[in-house]
Amino acid sequence: MRYKIHVFCFLIYLAGNFGPIIAQSTVVVSGSVRDKQTGESLIKAVVRIQELPNAGIISNEYGFYSLSLPKGNYSVVVSQVGYETLVQKIKLDSSQTINFSLQTKNLLKEVVVESSRKNDNLTKAQMGTETINMSAISKVPVIFGEKDLLKTIQLLPGVKSAGEGNSGFFVRGGGADQNLILLDEAPVYNATHLLGFFSTFNSDAIKDATIIKGNSASQYGGRLSSVLDVKMKEGNNQDYAVNGGIGLISSKVSIEGPLQKNKSSFILSGRRTYADMFLKATEKFKDNILYFYDLNAKANYQIDAKNKIYVSGYFGRDELGLGQEFGIDWGNKTGTIRWNRIISNKLFLNTSLIYSDYNYNVKLKNGETNFNINSNIKDVNLKQDYTFYANGTNTLRFGFNTILHTITPSTFSGTVINSVSKEGRNGLENALYLTNNYRASNQLTIDYGVRLSMYTLMGGDVYNIYENGMLNSSIKLSKSSFGKTYVNPEPRITTNYRINDETSIKAGYARNVQHLHLLSNSVASSPSDQWIGNSYNIKPEIADQISVGYVTKVFKSNFEFTTEAYYKYLQNQIDYKDGAEINTVSDVESVLLYGIGRAYGLEFLLKKKEGRLTGWIGYTLSKTERKIEGINGNNWYNARQDRTHDISVVGIYDLNDRWSISGVFVYNTGDAVTYPTGKYTIQGQTLYQYAARNANRMPAYHRLDFSATYEKNKTKRMHGSWNFSLYNVYGRENAFRISFKDDPNDPTRTQIIRTALFKWVPSVTYQFKF
Amino acid sequence: MKKIGFFIALFAIIFVGCDKEITLELNDSKPMLVIDGSITDLAGPYFVQLSLSTSINNPTRIIGVNNARVIITDQAGIKDSLQFVSNGLYRTQKIKGIEGGTYNLEVVVDQKKYTASATMPKKVNLDSLRINTFPFNGEVRYSVIPVYLDPVTLGNSYRFIQKINDTIDPTFHVFNDNLNNGKVNQRPLRGGDENLKIKPRDNVFVEMQCISSASYIYYNSLDQQSGAGPGGGTAPSNPPSNIEGGALGIFSAHTVQRKTVTIR
Repeated sequence: MRYKIHVFCFLIYLAGNFGPIIAQSTVVVSGSVRDKQTGESLIKAVVRIQELPNAGIISNEYGFYSLSLPKGNYSVVVSQVGYETLVQKIKLDSSQTINFSLQTKNLLKEVVVESSRKNDNLTKAQMGTETINMSAISKVPVIFGEKDLLKTIQLLPGVKSAGEGNSGFFVRGGGADQNLILLDEAPVYNATHLLGFFSTFNSDAIKDATIIKGNSASQYGGRLSSVLDVKMKEGNNQDYAVNGGIGLISSKVSIEGPLQKNKSSFILSGRRTYADMFLKATEKFKDNILYFYDLNAKANYQIDAKNKIYVSGYFGRDELGLGQEFGIDWGNKTGTIRWNRIISNKLFLNTSLIYSDYNYNVKLKNGETNFNINSNIKDVNLKQDYTFYANGTNTLRFGFNTILHTITPSTFSGTVINSVSKEGRNGLENALYLTNNYRASNQLTIDYGVRLSMYTLMGGDVYNIYENGMLNSSIKLSKSSFGKTYVNPEPRITTNYRINDETSIKAGYARNVQHLHLLSNSVASSPSDQWIGNSYNIKPEIADQISVGYVTKVFKSNFEFTTEAYYKYLQNQIDYKDGAEINTVSDVESVLLYGIGRAYGLEFLLKKKEGRLTGWIGYTLSKTERKIEGINGNNWYNARQDRTHDISVVGIYDLNDRWSISGVFVYNTGDAVTYPTGKYTIQGQTLYQYAARNANRMPAYHRLDFSATYEKNKTKRMHGSWNFSLYNVYGRENAFRISFKDDPNDPTRTQIIRTALFKWVPSVTYQFKF
Repeated sequence: MKKIGFFIALFAIIFVGCDKEITLELNDSKPMLVIDGSITDLAGPYFVQLSLSTSINNPTRIIGVNNARVIITDQAGIKDSLQFVSNGLYRTQKIKGIEGGTYNLEVVVDQKKYTASATMPKKVNLDSLRINTFPFNGEVRYSVIPVYLDPVTLGNSYRFIQKINDTIDPTFHVFNDNLNNGKVNQRPLRGGDENLKIKPRDNVFVEMQCISSASYIYYNSLDQQSGAGPGGGTAPSNPPSNIEGGALGIFSAHTVQRKTVTIR
């Protein structure tokens, strides 16, 4: 019955709204939304009109907004989480540009429930989306006291950690390589440092990050599971500021300031770990090298009222070494040049030229002999993205994206081997997309669109074709020729129906296609993991996801409760044969296996964003399976990251002006693993017998972390804070690995050994700002 | 890429890793037939060991299968019915292992037939054992390099069995010539096990076997799984075997050369 009333209301809205908008002459108000203190543009700020409940828009990635309205006098309400809501009276008799600057909210001020908060998700049809504001997570305890974006998103439902202390993550059953990680639009191929213990993102240089769990709008593409869109800070365009942090493991510093006051700014941020300095102090490890560093830089320049240029770059490198004997170094380089152009008060254009490079080198030295392994993936990417604010109800986004990938697989060189220089394979990835955000009524929003992705094999290499694992034929593509082109349409739709001011339901479907694939020799992410593009054998990976969701405010609107259910079907998944050497085999495609996957689950999130106590409770119930031809007798098996239950609790409590405390508790079902089901002896050695793959479980993982932050008087020019944290408060020895071996005291007995990585990890960090 | 796993291990040491023996509820498979047979270029007799797999909780020992019919034939048409010795061990009576020879194994247990075929590769001469030293964590470490010239044709595979003062090194050392085809080998036998360090004055015995690529895959997958186990490395499974009919194990035809070196 209630439903019928809503449908009825919806029809009334349609009839009532279209008439006047078409008939009456409209004018456009457009401009930008910024932070008052720093001049940083505010993304996803809500701009709405008090008098017209149906009119509203959210600012785009550059803080730009545009609203078509009938002439009249209005109160514009601009709101954003963490900022004071701004209400401004405007008299609109012709189109005009109005820029808004919002004041940061004092978190300790008594929070009044504001009318604006009800409309937070006014125009947001997106599903499975969470935005993380870096300042909001600064008090969440993390291992080694290093604020870490990737470790914080792992605390959200549907996102799972790749392992103890690891920055790698899995989203809704997808692999670690199925996340599109963007840093200012540039894809980051290996988002971790030091074998996964740190993420490549220096939190001081990051403005915010949004994770979209499979239902991304059509401007995003190329990975199956998620998009993690990380935006670097633009830098303060009002005043110079220096930020820094001194920790036990690493230190960092960033400098920002105006290039032209109110108009242009820059930020430079660097970080380096110094674990190797501790190593140097020990006799035993003094020849070992172990560090990483990274550098973020960004500048923006306002050419005129309509044009703005952004240049940003990232450079990071890891170095590990064991004396003279062994060394490995790897790193990402990304660079982005963007040009924002406001073509008209209704049409916004962003053109990006993006470069991204990931490579690793392994050096092995053995007396007089040398051995090197190198691998490299390089992208040059051109993107044009238009946002057209057609009218009060339709916002179109369309554009194209062309990426030239150059992938050089592991190449070996050295004095003792045949240096086979494998030439890089080129692939051209093109995409065209169109999305419309259609606000059918104040209650119903529909985002629908399509992305047409294409991948073309380019000449310069020989492609082998295998049938049933046997070489069938070879195709030699000459340098300037093109090989096979894969064309995949990717339809996507999400709908949001607002039942009332506090409650809405959502539903969506999305297809995602992935043309680049990661071949990994191990379960944990390793710098030597290889990327490979589509070929005649390797087809684009495809994921279809349907999801439904429900969002409501509970407990006097102080909490937001979200639940989502999803089902995902994966095609053309890749694995490789047992015993295969994927790094040294002359054609890795000869050892690959293909199959399908499925993942489904239920996610719950209860969140409190404002007040003295903030935080969330997340719970995920899920299942993830794979079925690969040639593995597990061609039967379905649990993916390693299939963790039935996953709970995380995050709480931050501001005690007073100076002290705040926070805690994190996580619990998840152990990873799906394969334990032996028997043993036998061959040539005097004990071997283990196995049955179904991943039919067993690691012991459940749980952990509590705690941290306390002390902030010195903020009124002074110099502002400092101390953070004390303890990882794994109750010292649980979570299993990192379970191994089976002969008991040294009684070789006929089999020992089961659990290896734990960390017991307690205390850390202290000093943050400063002046 | 083994070094990567090794590095993670190093990390664990730095960050206070800890090992503890635990108990787990494990499912038991039905006991399965295990075939472990080989033909070499040394003088016969050669042996085939038949046994049954057992529960992890039982003591590790060979549970012999004694009621089998075991036959090996070669390409010359010689058919050898193996003679039962004891506890599942069967011995050849007349067959002779030669380089390039192909051998077919047939095992029948309780009317169930298992077959395997193996071809012995041509012998590649083991010239010498060279001692390699390197500094590691503030001490001098030793490893042994088997010196041999890989033939120009691609596709040679080798297995090395290393014994340090008569203690067998449990690592499965297998090399192929994917990278160093036609070159003198300079790759050492990695001594990954902390408990089995090579020290001065140790006697290191190395047996070099020229094996087929099927044997390479078998031992390489054991190597990829060993040490790593659940929690790291490759998901373990029964290694791909050349035995048809649903038995565990391997039937191999390989050449054998042995050398010993004393660390000085």
